[in-house]
Amino acid sequence: MSKGFASNYRIVLLATGLFACFAGLGVRLVWLHIIDREELLRSVAKARRQITVEEARRGDILDTKGNLLATSRSLIVLGVDPTMLRKEDEAKWPLLAALIGMPLAELRETLTTKLLVSAPAAPARPAPIAAPKSPEHPPIEFKFSGSSLPFSAASETPDRAGNVGDNAAKKEAAGEKRLLPKQYVKLSDNVTETLYAQIEKLGIAGIVRDRSYRRTYPHGQLGAHVIGYVNSAEQPATGIENHADFYLRGQDGWRESERDGHRRELAQFRSREVPRADGYSVVLSLDCNIQDMVEQELAQIVQKFQPEKATIIVSDPRNGFILAMGNYPTFDLNEYGKVPLEAQASMKNIAITDILEPGSTFKIVSIAAGLDQGAVVPSDRFDCNLEEVEYKNRLRALPKDDHHYDHLLNVSEIVARSSNRGAAQIGMKLGEQRLYDYARAFGFARPLGFPTGGEVAGILAKPEKWSGSDITRIPMGHTISATALQMHQAMCTIATGGVLLRPQIIREIRDAAGEPVNRYDRVEIGRAVSERTAHTMAQMLVGVASKEGTAPEAAIPNFEVAGKTGTTQMLLPEIDSKGNRTLRYSEKHHIGSFVGFFPASNPQIAITVVVHNADGRLPGGWGAKVAAPSFKKLGEQLISYRNITAAPAPIVERGVFAAQGNRP
Amino acid sequence: MKKNSQAFINQLLVCLLVTFCFSGSIGLGTVWMRHQISLTANANKLLEKRIAEVERHLVETVTIIETEQSNDVLRRRNSEMRLGMVQPLETSVIHVTEDPELHLASKANRGLFDDRALPVPPLKVVLALTP
Repeated sequence: MSKGFASNYRIVLLATGLFACFAGLGVRLVWLHIIDREELLRSVAKARRQITVEEARRGDILDTKGNLLATSRSLIVLGVDPTMLRKEDEAKWPLLAALIGMPLAELRETLTTKLLVSAPAAPARPAPIAAPKSPEHPPIEFKFSGSSLPFSAASETPDRAGNVGDNAAKKEAAGEKRLLPKQYVKLSDNVTETLYAQIEKLGIAGIVRDRSYRRTYPHGQLGAHVIGYVNSAEQPATGIENHADFYLRGQDGWRESERDGHRRELAQFRSREVPRADGYSVVLSLDCNIQDMVEQELAQIVQKFQPEKATIIVSDPRNGFILAMGNYPTFDLNEYGKVPLEAQASMKNIAITDILEPGSTFKIVSIAAGLDQGAVVPSDRFDCNLEEVEYKNRLRALPKDDHHYDHLLNVSEIVARSSNRGAAQIGMKLGEQRLYDYARAFGFARPLGFPTGGEVAGILAKPEKWSGSDITRIPMGHTISATALQMHQAMCTIATGGVLLRPQIIREIRDAAGEPVNRYDRVEIGRAVSERTAHTMAQMLVGVASKEGTAPEAAIPNFEVAGKTGTTQMLLPEIDSKGNRTLRYSEKHHIGSFVGFFPASNPQIAITVVVHNADGRLPGGWGAKVAAPSFKKLGEQLISYRNITAAPAPIVERGVFAAQGNRP
Repeated sequence: MKKNSQAFINQLLVCLLVTFCFSGSIGLGTVWMRHQISLTANANKLLEKRIAEVERHLVETVTIIETEQSNDVLRRRNSEMRLGMVQPLETSVIHVTEDPELHLASKANRGLFDDRALPVPPLKVVLALTP
């Protein structure tokens, strides 16, 4: 048999060649994988590795019926790289200008300016903080998922301002003026997704976009003081936005991957990925429609009385949840930045930040305390024409009363007719310490824990520091300061049967999928008076909104309205003859208020209306005139809206208590 | 005895060929698999992008709808379009405490079963003699 081609010599040659090839391959592999490994890996990582940050979407704020009060919408910052523009796209520039609302001449100038003159920099400029350039840590390119503009922590690639790294910086430092290619110019920062889709269709090369979420408030100024806003630095400033930021803000995600020569992500080389966690949604107890009714009513008050400021609070007294809280002046949440500096006060939630003397509305505390302690009973009679009363072996001057009474008033009449002297005498029967304790139990002189922040505690000095006249003034709501919310909650304490509840605004926290994470329920702060006392007090307060009471304007036909008016003189700063600044009660400026609830036997709604300084249009600024009509109007709207039905059997005939003692 | 190396060489060549074919097919298989991974990853990336885009459009649309449904805008539209719609007042609302079905039925039948007697036209009888 012939050996043919496979001679020994050739076999050896072939085997040697193959061995040499394999040996060469092996050597190269060893070289690449062991000897040059670090350097090659570094260069690969530098060229290809990138971390993409995925921005989390901030959660929504919803009202109790699921209407959006605050949401994050995707907005695009549109820019252009003038160096990448093509000649053939020039015909599309007018269309682009029309879409983004920029004058064509301005756009043309922007697009045709391709060079940027860098000004000479100060020579002693501190070195910028740069990413470490150690061989173990090659620079990583960070890219935001919404952006088409990648940037590197320490690269020579030009940044958005057109600067080209260290070399340029050195020449700038030397004082040279340089012409640099302009690689980014912002065209618009308010492009919606729909608009961007149209711009994208134009197909203009060099157009770049930076996508991000921007906070928007679909209802504008509705509930502005409660909702609050997120500022341009994406920091929550006030309101629920600030209080519930922990739930709302979410967590950004990121992924590590590689990119190709066109800076496009190579999805198959994703090595690590942390998905973004969108923020939770916060559901408020606020009702858009009730809030709108309140703000409409405030607008009516402003139109009618031109007050300095006004507040309306509506809540469900059974659980302490606020249904609406409106203030005048107010502002548009979408235009918070346009509020002038001198009008910044309009951004305060004055219902919890501003204090006022509660006036006669505080009488519910002193009288309920007197009843609860057994110091008085409803049928006790007081001479409310007295000018002085002996208390602790001293004669104390009683405050002025607006009326002269031809008979002794019983406790019910004192409430219905809002007698200052009657309240003062009940206060004296109670004593300083007990009056103070009951005021605190009703929520005065301490913060109630309303979640939007900025709440003040109000002012009520401790009994040791009271002056001789304080025991006659505090029972009628003078020499004490409180917020409108404290007045409201005190009245709600009567409505709930003597229990002080925490005023709440957050109903529920929901995750991004809409599943409840946390639910909030009624929170009791403590019991102020017994249920029996609260019930008796509620019956007495029905007399206020009767013909014999101080606020027949608040009466709602077929419904028992329990409430209390309040009118106080404003404390205004005054400069005396020595140039000292003091606070004095003004006889020309008043605060009128009405606080009440209905139906009295089965309270479902509590409303507080406070109007500051309506004296310009209505001298006296009486609570019955400026606030009670708004209570009635809102009450009537709420009866329809919430389908409130009158109690089947009224607990008391209207005005019976006020007319006790066979007096009209 | 003469050594016959041809059989060994032939076997070696066959083995080499089989090895090349085998390793080649493994290599090609790996390349194909990597290509498929790449295609799938890119398809997933596109889907993710598309989902994100749809979500963004959804949020934008919801925001626009919500803005258009706000009470201020509705009031403005009411005024612009002269629709003359007003909020219901308490006086225009009737609270029905009884069974609504009975209430509606009695309201609908009020005219039908009136207590008063309907006016009956006087009966006329005409007698005529037939021829």
